[in-house]
Amino acid sequence: MSGAATFAWGALWGAVSLTIVGALTTVLVLVERKISGRIQMRVGPMHTGPHGLLQTVADIVKLLFKEDVRPARADAMAFRLGPLLTAVPAVLSFAVIPFGAPLIMRDLNVGVLYFLAVPGVTAVGLLLAGWASYDNYSFLGGLRSSAQFISYEIPRTLAVVGVVMLAGSLRVSAVLEAQRTVPFLVLEPLGFVLYLVTTLAEVNRTPFDIPEAESELVAGYHTEYSGFRWALFFLAEYGALFAASAFATVLFLGGGNGPLLPAFVWFLVKTLAIVFLTMWIRWTLPRFRSDQLMRLAWKVFLPLSLVNLVLAGLAMQVVAG
Amino acid sequence: MTAVLVLSAVLFAIGLFGVLTRRNAITLLVSVEVMMNAANLNLVAFSRLYQPELMTGQVFAILGIGVAACEAAVGLALILTIYRRYGSTDVDRVRLLRE
Amino acid sequence: MSGGQSMLFVLVGVVAAVSALYAVLTRQILRSIMSLGAFLTAVAVEFYVLAADFVSVVQIFVYVGGVVVLMLFALMLSASGERHPLAGADRPGLGAVLAYLVGGGLVVASLGAGLPEPGKAPAQTVDLLGRSFLGGQLFAFELMGVVLLAAVVAALVVARGERQ
Repeated sequence: MSGAATFAWGALWGAVSLTIVGALTTVLVLVERKISGRIQMRVGPMHTGPHGLLQTVADIVKLLFKEDVRPARADAMAFRLGPLLTAVPAVLSFAVIPFGAPLIMRDLNVGVLYFLAVPGVTAVGLLLAGWASYDNYSFLGGLRSSAQFISYEIPRTLAVVGVVMLAGSLRVSAVLEAQRTVPFLVLEPLGFVLYLVTTLAEVNRTPFDIPEAESELVAGYHTEYSGFRWALFFLAEYGALFAASAFATVLFLGGGNGPLLPAFVWFLVKTLAIVFLTMWIRWTLPRFRSDQLMRLAWKVFLPLSLVNLVLAGLAMQVVAG
Repeated sequence: MTAVLVLSAVLFAIGLFGVLTRRNAITLLVSVEVMMNAANLNLVAFSRLYQPELMTGQVFAILGIGVAACEAAVGLALILTIYRRYGSTDVDRVRLLRE
Repeated sequence: MSGGQSMLFVLVGVVAAVSALYAVLTRQILRSIMSLGAFLTAVAVEFYVLAADFVSVVQIFVYVGGVVVLMLFALMLSASGERHPLAGADRPGLGAVLAYLVGGGLVVASLGAGLPEPGKAPAQTVDLLGRSFLGGQLFAFELMGVVLLAAVVAALVVARGERQ
């Protein structure tokens, strides 16, 4: 492709990704509230539209028209940059997600690594947001989030290394190709569990949501945010959740591979199943304490991920025969 | 290629300027990182120019990034210790080598 | 490099130089670190333009996702109380003169060197890199592991030692 064509394709995909993230957030927030209602034996939002279907649409309209409040002593630049730096990586990570075989923006040589690296920038955004708000709760939330991010990034990356060993490539299409007959979930069950749990920590969801912890930190780093900037945090959370689930599908469930239905449909079904699983976990389990969370990362997940590497080596031998 | 070399030289000079003139320990670390990156840029460029199949330069750029991460971790630990003792991260206030 | 790539390289290079300059000159440490983040991202783009895609992603992974976060962390821990930490006054200009001389000398040397433009880059960078790491450069790779371990232990000892 020539430079101009690459640029146009990138711009188009960027617009599409933004639209997808926006639409996804709208739908997923509603779905999550409905699911949480079911799990806790209540009905969830019911009043706006039939069965409350328009609830999040109304919420978005409300958020867009809300006043943008900024604490008087907040650092203006950091306060603006924080939400942006949390939301942008979530959208950027859509560049390497294969929605069915031909629908991938760029099949990078290093696609898998790209997906692990780019969302890591979110930590900078959370830290800045917490710091800039000039508020002790936000500050604690920001510090916790960065510590958690750095700790859980290590076992998460190691869990993915197992898959990369089996596929023999960092290219997303090659990882999918290697799973044409057997998905890596079969060869790498421990890796899948590790990836899923550490991903929950990376996207700050219960039981790892101590940076937010609404009941102790009053929503942590986004306490002081309102209106559209606050909505950006929501976009980031659900965008990252969907992207991480999509990547779990790519790495362990064979992506769009499946009988009868087109690849695109299979891909969505598998991804949404994982999204549902995370919501189920969120509304079932209580939150960890901060020190328990750290101990879990360094003393349980890190050794387990090393064991997983050895298992991946064994699996390689089995596959090679 | 000239563009790469000039950019790298300019970045190196900027980093050097920072190291020589700033007094805050964190800004010093920032300046050192700028210099490391200038060097890495050259490693990658020369790797492509002379041995595109061997990748030696890229290998060393990656090792350089790793060393920079180590340096940042140890450096920041030192900065925190200095801050606890002197209540400041200004390197000119640190004059004692003993307890 | 093609014409478009050269143009992109120069453009991003200007961004890198400006953000590096701001990172070094500003008195607000928070701005300095954020500007360093922008600089590191720009350099990552330059790596990508130079067909070093693996190095580019590692740069984002380790630097932007790791080092910048660590620096922000250290800043926030060391500036408790004041929320807009400023750096104190700096030394006067001998260092500036030296930096000008070194930088100017390097630029003149680069312009005079007249190196050829690089040829076509290999497509399978990751394969070649992997072979290099576990082949010819194995010793450096292993040594890196030792250095990293030593750094982790050192950072822990230095940061915790005072507390007892």
